[in-house]
Amino acid sequence: MELSLDRLSKHYGSKIAVDQVSAVLGPGVYGLLGANGAGKTTLMRMLCGILEPTAGEVLFDGKSIAEMGAGYRNVLGYLPQDFGYYPGDSAEEFLMYLSALKGIPRHIAKGRVKELLEVVDLSACASKKLKTFSGGMKQRIGIAQALLNKPEVMILDEPTAGLDPRERVRFRNLISDYGENKIVILSTHIVSDIEAIADEVLLMKKGSFVQKGTVSELIDKARGKVWELTVPSSQAHSWQKKATVANLRHEGEDVVLRIISDHKPDEGAIRAEASLEDLYLYYFPAEKGV
Amino acid sequence: MELFWLEHKRLWKRKSTQISVLLCLIYVVVFGSILSYQWFTFGSSTGYNSFRNRFDGYASIRACQQYAGQFGGVLTDEALQEMVRDYQSITDRDDMDEMNKTDRYKVPSWVSQLYPELNHPQDYRLEISYVEPEKLTGFYERRQKILEDFLAISDQTGEEREYLLKMNEKVEQPFRYQWTEGWNVILGSNLPELGMVMTLFLTISLAPVFAGEWHDRTGPLLLTTKNGWKEAARAKICSGLALAVEIFGLILVGGVGSQLFFLGTEGWDMPIQMIKLIAVAPMNMLQAEIFGYVFVFLGVIGYAGLVMLLSSCAKSTFAALLLGLSAVYLPLAVSEYLPFWAQKALDLLPLVGSPADIFRTNTFCIFGKYVWSPYLLIIVPVLLGLGCVPFAVRRWARRMRR
Repeated sequence: MELSLDRLSKHYGSKIAVDQVSAVLGPGVYGLLGANGAGKTTLMRMLCGILEPTAGEVLFDGKSIAEMGAGYRNVLGYLPQDFGYYPGDSAEEFLMYLSALKGIPRHIAKGRVKELLEVVDLSACASKKLKTFSGGMKQRIGIAQALLNKPEVMILDEPTAGLDPRERVRFRNLISDYGENKIVILSTHIVSDIEAIADEVLLMKKGSFVQKGTVSELIDKARGKVWELTVPSSQAHSWQKKATVANLRHEGEDVVLRIISDHKPDEGAIRAEASLEDLYLYYFPAEKGV
Repeated sequence: MELFWLEHKRLWKRKSTQISVLLCLIYVVVFGSILSYQWFTFGSSTGYNSFRNRFDGYASIRACQQYAGQFGGVLTDEALQEMVRDYQSITDRDDMDEMNKTDRYKVPSWVSQLYPELNHPQDYRLEISYVEPEKLTGFYERRQKILEDFLAISDQTGEEREYLLKMNEKVEQPFRYQWTEGWNVILGSNLPELGMVMTLFLTISLAPVFAGEWHDRTGPLLLTTKNGWKEAARAKICSGLALAVEIFGLILVGGVGSQLFFLGTEGWDMPIQMIKLIAVAPMNMLQAEIFGYVFVFLGVIGYAGLVMLLSSCAKSTFAALLLGLSAVYLPLAVSEYLPFWAQKALDLLPLVGSPADIFRTNTFCIFGKYVWSPYLLIIVPVLLGLGCVPFAVRRWARRMRR
């Protein structure tokens, strides 16, 4: 099982949203990381076949997904970023409707819906209308619908938005298990989610992959670029202005700054252990406070 | 099929659908039929306005039917004279209860239409009240003459005239007479208004079919499922049409049921000329009623297709609702200010025309051939509406991808 992105591009007039992206994805969990406007959602929509690429193509097991049509959609699970639902439907009705759209026979769908409602911990709310659900509950229904047809390729756009920490852990475990023999691509701003479950990270900037690799490989790339510096509180503000500060921690009268920089920012700075978040900030210095 | 049932269930589950269907039933069945029969149309008159009628329509209708039965059967000059004599004796006695039993709208209209030379312009009373009954002769010859005069006045000459007169030749004469007022209300008032009333409630029910989808932002989900938007669109269209048929079915059952209960079947084989003398269609009351319901049914199907197209074009359900209502009420409102040919063209839009056209002598001239207007009024709206369906699907699909 293989999903190939072959010089995939999407242009909106003169604006280039995705620029000549290529990758070969086998079974596993792929974390798509990038700032707002980096082209993640556009790329995901092309991978789902919703958007037609301006150039290049997406191949599933060597066949163009555009030509596969329903055959590809049959193995696809998608959770869009702006997840739409029918407010008047109950959770069960909504999932049954999507099962019918996914071509799952009613007798199978019934069992699958029940099973998935348990997986996302919503069995007790199966007959409640979606309009009464909290943001996190809706998101869990979104995750359940993506899993309905036991997809070979699952694309999740911001799947953990709105989930509380316990739900996030539950979701991460679910995806981690699922990704063992399926292709899961998830995009998120929450770096810790990717750090926890992604087998490979695709770092996207201005429509291109700027880094690809496992979490440890990418962390290696950030190694030597992360510093800790203790300064008086009064200087914290000026440091925030002149450097990329990943973290700021008060210790008595002083402040410990975590600075991302190619060079030693100050004589007093000492090297610190790098994380994926540091790499993210290295590439997206304007995106502070992740 | 599964998708259709789920979509259909969703449409029925909408509060707007439930309320509009309920209101439609209340308006058409309760007010338009039951209360109308029992009270304000057929309740015996107290001489003021119809809302002050007695609540005795059922008994009153029986009395009318029994009274008309005295003169029932073949309508000859003698039978008409007998009716007029009896009418005059009732007016002489000023007996309001007896007057309630007479066929007090249609029979006087025959006398005034067929015997205008017997009219006394200075007399404020209806002509039937003072005319000498024995002078009322030559009913069918006079009917033929007023028909021909009407065609001449309407500038319907040549081939068109021949076409209509040929149609008239098939009308069976002499006519059979029984109490006409019940059929007059059904064919002349209830059925023509039915389409207009259903427009409102159908629009409320069908406007969200596609427009609601836009509001719910479900496009990406539908586009990435195996059956995809095509199956969803098919299910939506079928469930929209099914809903329209079901609403119509409820109205049909309620309307016909109450009609059978209050009016019975008496007079079903009377020719429609008993309601409008110069009608040229060789139809009896039952055939006319079937035509009326088929007309509304096909109009409803056509209109459902049109509303679903508008729903696929509009971003909000409210906009779809307004557009849907405008598609019927706007042509109805502006029609009278337009030339006659434009009025006839507008009548071809779903639910804009009227089943009462069977009483008229309207024709359409197509490639030099004259066609009686009801033939086109029954076919074109449904074709137009069904023709909207592929455009609705295409439009919706395009929007889903945005």
